[in-house]
Amino acid sequence: MASSCYITFPTIFYAIRAESILKNQTFSFKMVPVPRSISSSCGTALRCECSDIYQIKKYLLENNLELEGFYRLEEEGLKTPAVKVLNSDHPEVDE
Amino acid sequence: MSNKLNLYFDNAATSWPKPEAVYRAPEIQMREASGNPGRSGHTRTLESDRLVYRAREAVANLFNVEDPSRVIFAYNATDALNIALKGFLEKGDHVLFTAMEHNSVLRPLGRLRQEGTIDSDMIPCSEEGYPDLDFLEEAYRSNTRLLVVNHASNVTGTIAPLEKLIASAHKRGVKVLVDAAQTAGVIPIDVQKTGLDMLAFTGHKGLLGPTGTGGLYVRRDIDLKPLREGGTGSQSESDLHPTSMPERLEAGTMNSAGLAGLLEGINYILDHGIENIRQAEDNLRNHLWNSLLNLNGITLYGPKAAHSETVAVVSLTVDGTDCGEIGYILESNYGILCRTGLHCAPLAHQAIGTFPEGTVRLSPGYFSGMKEIDYVVSALQEIVKLSTV
Repeated sequence: MASSCYITFPTIFYAIRAESILKNQTFSFKMVPVPRSISSSCGTALRCECSDIYQIKKYLLENNLELEGFYRLEEEGLKTPAVKVLNSDHPEVDE
Repeated sequence: MSNKLNLYFDNAATSWPKPEAVYRAPEIQMREASGNPGRSGHTRTLESDRLVYRAREAVANLFNVEDPSRVIFAYNATDALNIALKGFLEKGDHVLFTAMEHNSVLRPLGRLRQEGTIDSDMIPCSEEGYPDLDFLEEAYRSNTRLLVVNHASNVTGTIAPLEKLIASAHKRGVKVLVDAAQTAGVIPIDVQKTGLDMLAFTGHKGLLGPTGTGGLYVRRDIDLKPLREGGTGSQSESDLHPTSMPERLEAGTMNSAGLAGLLEGINYILDHGIENIRQAEDNLRNHLWNSLLNLNGITLYGPKAAHSETVAVVSLTVDGTDCGEIGYILESNYGILCRTGLHCAPLAHQAIGTFPEGTVRLSPGYFSGMKEIDYVVSALQEIVKLSTV
């Protein structure tokens, strides 16, 4: 079972802005369709390593981006993954 | 002078020619990207999203907008002005506007007035097209919320004293909406320095892009009520339109093909330098103006002082003739394309004394040459001679 983390955005503008300003950073990430297990919205989300999500979140907020939600998905093949909402700014609180 | 050319002197209506990349970009966007921006999430959609984002960033860059989310796209300046006026004004508001405004401002205000939503007053302008600043000082009321200013007149080329107008309005807490249809791309505009509140622009004139593109800058402290609502690709589960900018004021599939062209137009301007474009257009306008100035039988309209600040527009009448007829002769006998009549700005013609007949308007562009100006001048010389025989 693998975990990956997701950030969602209120509008597509902020998703692309996030991609644009993260380009010059060292985080590894990918823009993907919002997983249906997170939201029924048909937008684009940012998928990243769970070890990076808090730092990415901090960096994007420092750059005045509007962000919507933060999630960890336990993925197992094509099965619907279990979703954990990451509400805090600290990984240990969310564990 | 019988050889028929195709000399384009109607850049104030739409610029032509366009930079080569502007012609190519929409085709590339349709052939190679073509996903629906904001929808789906597959590669082509993402490519279109990135293109719309880059176009937005380019506009923000050009006007020195700090946060590109405050730039929204529209079909043209008229559309942007409708979004601004109908999204900002509320029942009981009073609006001031100058006599140089285009119908794109006068008509939305006319409807709001007719419906009993707002009241408005016109700031008269001089024969040269400058607003009466003393009149303005007396025109504010306790419920005045907006001043609408045409940055440069499409009839006379007169550039409005933006700084003075904005200072006057802001002193009273009145917001300022600037119509940059004739100035975006040819006069440097810095929204932070000027402090203007909303800026409407079109993509197909000075910005050298395709028709069907344009937009509006909205300052951070203004929340406009959306004129249209619908699909954005975000928050699809909600039956209410997103409130975040820029999607707040955009609905339905974006004109990504057009915006691809607009992006190339802006890139061309940034590459060549807006100051250089301004200087080139100024030289063309001054050469045209000075060559026609002492021609008997021709009357020129607009700022008369030497080195007046104008955009590249010269309005004229030929004594004792119909301006439509002059336009027809210019095209059929000389291959010169221009615009005649009222140019959708009836109050401006009242101000300069050419209502209801209108004027012949010659508007060269960045790609016009001095020789073309000389050719137009000799054509007009011939026409004047013939009309006085």
